[in-house]
Amino acid sequence: MFNNQQIMDLPKHSDISFKPLADKALLHTQLSSLLFYIPLIGALIAVCYFNEAFANNAQTYLLIGMPILVAVSMAYNIISVRLRGFAVRDHDIAFKKGVIWQQVTVLPLARVQHMEIHQGPIERKLSLASIKLFSAGGVSADLQISELTHDDCKNMRQFVQNYRQDDATTQAALVDE
Amino acid sequence: MSNATLEDKASPIYWQKVSPWALLYFVVHFSVRFVKDGLLNLLPMLVVFVTQVENKLFWAQAAGGIALISLLIYSFLYYLNFKFSISSDNEILLNKGVFKKERLTLKFGRVQNVNIAEPFYFTPVDLVNCIFDAAGSVSQEVVLPGVTKDYAQQMRKQIFDFKAQQQQEVQNTEQSKTDTIENSLSISNKEIAKFGLMSNMAILAMAALAPFINLIVDFLEKQIIAKVEGFYQQEFGMLASAATFAMITLIVLLVFAAVMLSVTMSLIRFYNFELYFKGQKFKRIAGLLERHQLSMSMDKVQSIVIKQNLMGRLLKRFTVECLQASSGGIVAGVAAKQNKQTLVLPVLNSEQVDSVCQWIYPWFNSKKLAFKRAERALLYKNLGFYSLLPSVLVFGFCFITDINTLISLGVLVVFSGLVTLSYQRYGYYMHEDNGRFYMVVRKGMIGVHYRVFELYKAQSARSISTYLMRKSSLKSLYIQLASGFAFMPYIKQQDADFIIDFTIKQIESDTRSWM
Repeated sequence: MFNNQQIMDLPKHSDISFKPLADKALLHTQLSSLLFYIPLIGALIAVCYFNEAFANNAQTYLLIGMPILVAVSMAYNIISVRLRGFAVRDHDIAFKKGVIWQQVTVLPLARVQHMEIHQGPIERKLSLASIKLFSAGGVSADLQISELTHDDCKNMRQFVQNYRQDDATTQAALVDE
Repeated sequence: MSNATLEDKASPIYWQKVSPWALLYFVVHFSVRFVKDGLLNLLPMLVVFVTQVENKLFWAQAAGGIALISLLIYSFLYYLNFKFSISSDNEILLNKGVFKKERLTLKFGRVQNVNIAEPFYFTPVDLVNCIFDAAGSVSQEVVLPGVTKDYAQQMRKQIFDFKAQQQQEVQNTEQSKTDTIENSLSISNKEIAKFGLMSNMAILAMAALAPFINLIVDFLEKQIIAKVEGFYQQEFGMLASAATFAMITLIVLLVFAAVMLSVTMSLIRFYNFELYFKGQKFKRIAGLLERHQLSMSMDKVQSIVIKQNLMGRLLKRFTVECLQASSGGIVAGVAAKQNKQTLVLPVLNSEQVDSVCQWIYPWFNSKKLAFKRAERALLYKNLGFYSLLPSVLVFGFCFITDINTLISLGVLVVFSGLVTLSYQRYGYYMHEDNGRFYMVVRKGMIGVHYRVFELYKAQSARSISTYLMRKSSLKSLYIQLASGFAFMPYIKQQDADFIIDFTIKQIESDTRSWM
C-alpha cells in the first residue's frame, strides 16, 4: 500500500509565492473587455435607432442593464487579474488563476513539448505577450499565461529551452554510462 | 567519428521495389482515399449531374470508366515510382509520388510501432503490408505494401533491436527476467460477438446514416410501414391500432438490425483475437478481412483504461484499452484509436482483466484496490444542482402548463439515484510497488471506468477549488496524462496537495523516459 506519511522533504506547491502579472495586465484585460462591449453597445444603439418598437420596450432596461453589466465585468476583471500569478521554479512552472473556480497548475519543464509566444495588437502596444506551454495529451495548451511582459515571456522560453537542453545532456550522459 | 559518418553518408543507396502484387494495395488505397476525401469535393458536380444532365446512365458509365482507368494508370505509375531503402544510418528511405515526387526519411528511433497487416487480397500470395507508425499521425505513417511476412518480421525485429539498444539503460535486470516469459490470451469469436452488444458501433453506423435520414424515413414510410400496416389490418383486423403496431414492429426490426450490424463490425475488427506478451512487448493479431498485427512496447503504454458499461455489467465483461501518447486531446485520442495505436482488448472477464493488467503492473488485483472515496460534499452539491434544481424547474413547468406535477417527483427520484451512483463510483487508490508509484482512478454511473497509470508518466497536475470548497478544506484533483486525464473531485485539501506534490516530484526526479 501507498504510504504518504514517510516523505518529509516533499516540496509543497501550496508554499509557492506567486509573482503577479505585468503592471499593464489589468489595462489590457479592461481594454479587451471594452473591445467586446463597445461593438455590442453600438449594435444595440443601432437597433434602437432603427426599430422604434424595440426601443420603446427595451431602452430603459438596456440603459440600466448595460452599464451594470460593464461595471460588473470590469470589477470581475480586477479580481481576476489580482488572483492570477505565476512562478518559475527550478524544475517546473506553476500558474494560478480563477475567481469562482481557483486553479493551480504545475507543469514540469521536463514534460514541455513545445512553446508559443503570442502578441495581439493591444499586447504589442502595451509590450505584453502570452506564452503557451504544450505537453502531450492536452486539449490545447497545458499552460497559457497571458499578460506577461514580452521580456518575461522570452526569458521564460529561454529558461525552458535551456532546461530541456540540460535535460537532454543528462539523458545522453546516462546513456553513455 | 565524423569521418565515419561522412563515409556512411557517402555510401550508395540500394533502392528496392515492392512486389508487383502491391499494385493491388495501391488500387484499393487510392479507391478508399477517393471515396473518403474526393467524393465530398465532387458533391456539387454530382448535384449538377443529377439535376441538369440528360441521359444519366450513359454519362455515369462514361465518367465511371474514365475514373477507373485513371485510377489504374495512377496506381501503376505510383507503383513504378515507389522505391524504398534501408540505409546504413538506420533509416527507412522512401521515394514515392507521381506528379509530386516525395522523399521520406524515417529514422528507426522515431518508429513507435511496426504493424503487420494481412489484407484479404494478399492472402493467396502470402504477402503483407508492413506499417511503420512514426508519431501517431496518419501522415507520418510509412507503409511498405506487398512484402513477405518474413521480411516484415525481420524489419520489425531490426527496428526493435535498434530501439532496444538505444534504451538499454532503462532496462534493468528485473525486466530481463520477465523477458523470457511469454504470456498469451485468445478470445473466442463468441465472446467477440458479445463486444458487439456492448459497444456503440451500431450507433456510429447510425450516425453515418444521419445525412440521409429524410430519404430513409420516406423510404420506410412508403415501402415498409404501409405494407406492415396493411398486413396487420388484413391478418388481424386491427384497424385502429395497426399503425401503432407497424411502428413498433419497425422499431424492433431497426434495433435488431443495429445490434446485428454492431456484432458484425466487432467480428470484422476482432475475429480470431490473439494477444501475446513477450519481451516487454504486446503483439495483437485480429481481424476478419484484414489480419492486423499490432505491436506495442510496454513502456509506450501511458495508462490503462478498464471500462464496463451497462451491457458489460449484464454480461460481466470488461473492455481494456492500453493507451499510447496522443497530442491534441479527445480528437487525437479518437484518431489514435482509429489509427490502431490503441491496444483494445474487447471482452475480458474480471480474472482476465487482472491477468492482463498484471503483465504491465504485477501488483494489480482489482479485488484488493481499496479506493478512497470523494467527500460527501460532492453528493450534496450534485444533488442540489443536478437533481433538486431540475425537478424544481420541471415542477414549475408542469404547474404552468397544467401537467401532473408528480412528474417532478419522478425526476427527483431518478436524478437523485443517478447522482448517488455517480458519487459512489468516484474513488482513487495509490500503490507502491518496488519503489514505483501508481494511481488508479475510478469513475462512472451505471457503468464503471478505471484508469491505471504510473505517476511519473503524468504531464501536469492541477488543483481546482471554489470558495465553499476551500472553507471545507476540499479540492478537486486533475492530472493530465499523455493519453487522457485523471480527475478526482472533492477530496481533502491535504490529500490533493500531497498527490500533486508527490506526482510532480515523481515526474521531476524519475530519469526514465516517459514516452
